[in-house]
Amino acid sequence: MKRCACLAGLLMVNAASAQDFSLHAYADGRLVSAPDETSWTQGGLGKTRYGDGGVQTKFGGAAVVGTAQITPALLAFGDVQFQNTDRATVDVLEAYLRYRPVSLSRWRWTLQAGEFFPPISLENNAVGWTSPWTLTPSAINSWVGEELRVFGAEGRLEWRGDIHTFELRTALFQRNDPAGNILSARGWSLSDLTYGLGSRLREPDIESEPTARYDPFQKIGDRTGWYGDLRWHATGIGSINLMRYDNRAYPDAHTASGVFAWRTHFWSLGATTDTGPITWIAQAMQGSTAVEPFDDTRFTTGFRSAFLLAGWNLGQWRPALRVEHFSTRDTGYEAGVVEGEHGNAITAALNWRPHDWLRFTAELLRIDSTRTQRADAGLSPKADFTQMQLSVRLLY
Amino acid sequence: MQRLAVMACVLFGCASPAWAAKVDVHLTDGHGHGVDDAVITLTPDGTVDRAANAPPPATHVVDQKDEVFIPYVQVMRPGDKVVFRNSDSTRHHVYSFSKVKAFEFVLSPGESSPAMTVVNTGIAAVGCNIHDHMITYLFVSDAPAIAMSTHGGMATLDHLAAGRYTMHIWHPQLHPGKSETTRAVIIASDVDVQHVAIDLSLIPDPRMFMDREHLDY
Repeated sequence: MKRCACLAGLLMVNAASAQDFSLHAYADGRLVSAPDETSWTQGGLGKTRYGDGGVQTKFGGAAVVGTAQITPALLAFGDVQFQNTDRATVDVLEAYLRYRPVSLSRWRWTLQAGEFFPPISLENNAVGWTSPWTLTPSAINSWVGEELRVFGAEGRLEWRGDIHTFELRTALFQRNDPAGNILSARGWSLSDLTYGLGSRLREPDIESEPTARYDPFQKIGDRTGWYGDLRWHATGIGSINLMRYDNRAYPDAHTASGVFAWRTHFWSLGATTDTGPITWIAQAMQGSTAVEPFDDTRFTTGFRSAFLLAGWNLGQWRPALRVEHFSTRDTGYEAGVVEGEHGNAITAALNWRPHDWLRFTAELLRIDSTRTQRADAGLSPKADFTQMQLSVRLLY
Repeated sequence: MQRLAVMACVLFGCASPAWAAKVDVHLTDGHGHGVDDAVITLTPDGTVDRAANAPPPATHVVDQKDEVFIPYVQVMRPGDKVVFRNSDSTRHHVYSFSKVKAFEFVLSPGESSPAMTVVNTGIAAVGCNIHDHMITYLFVSDAPAIAMSTHGGMATLDHLAAGRYTMHIWHPQLHPGKSETTRAVIIASDVDVQHVAIDLSLIPDPRMFMDREHLDY
């Protein structure tokens, strides 16, 4: 018995010494000048995270990111956040294992399994899936943060040249069957309210009385989705990636509580490059999502969006400017009637990092949108939204 | 320490200490800023018996601190040895798949690799398989005279004999695919002092420096 205890102790010591742990975190507080209209996060048709006018102090969010390098090839990663914009929730943004053995050739492969973001966003590479450039991500990456997540496994193959690197990723996943619902029910948003396992996404009240929330990361039916992503990167030139996503959901499948699966597929194209101190990021997305609530009745929403971001790397100061366009087009709801939305947004942000642990951000977001759904609520289809934020972010 | 020292290894100097000519090089980036970590080699026109003038092998140390390799570029001679030291509190998995030398070392915090001899000439990119943003270069050359720019783009190649030379300049951030910068240098006498100023056009530093906000997993 004593011998067993000694052996177990020795194993624990060895395991502990063989592991590398790291912890990163942030907490964000804000002063917000909000648009007058009620935000979609509160059931309204406002396209920004905050609404109802006035100047408000807000808790922007907090997250803890932990990693464990279990072996030189095996990494465990977890990202847990706390949000209280809609309801106070603690949810898991990502939790996965990554196996990447070293390769002494130009080829290298990686296997990743668990819950993680599909490789779409070129903005959100900071702690807690935030953006180092702006507080509010683009419409494309706002939606990625709201409804897209992989629960499955991804294989990655890289070929690493002296200048050019090519990377092919493909994944199989489940539990992303409701993805696309919010684009049909609400349209695009520009919001840094990211959702994870354990949170619920709110639909506009006009679409569902009483208040309806749903888990965007659930399995409805037994279909397995996939994505493929081809990426090229050249040192000193930039990168381009093209992705195809298809959740392959049965559009007539639904839960007992009435949450439908949405068949969603899209193309995503992204590119980055640097010119002097300026980093350029461009992304475009086009796809559609469909649901069949009744036999022979199929509602389809086509969606597209694109943005261009310029960010200046000026040491402690990082200004950024982003322009974007977004639209949706609904068909099948009423013969001969075209519904949907189109709009543009411009985001200007100034980031200041006086210390490694401190970030200040001032951001101005202006959205012009025309959405037919607003007429159903007795509102003018055309609306403008201006949101200003001053953020203090503590980093660990 | 090697980074701070101007590494001028002059084979002709060994053979004839009387040669005292030198070339002072100042490298800038086109905006007036000095360019460090560039490797400058001088090769005399005509044939040179490089092996006959080889200096004794040296051992170099490449450190890893705050998930950054130090130095960014390590100049080596064929036959020199290199030791990879881990001064971080996390493990590193140092490796290279270059033709110059393929190798891997898993290094625990505080650990150093065995001294590894590099025989072939060329440039070996070295990374960490755990932290993909880390990179350093081993520049292995048997050129008769070699130096690395430090202290704001300054380098000196000394103990040179009179003659015609070709100067080659390499930097990790030269535009990919663009031909190496070269310059003809004529040394009139064994006590001549030449001053060479060159603007280099560089791409942004590809190394990602991690901080509390930026993660790279």
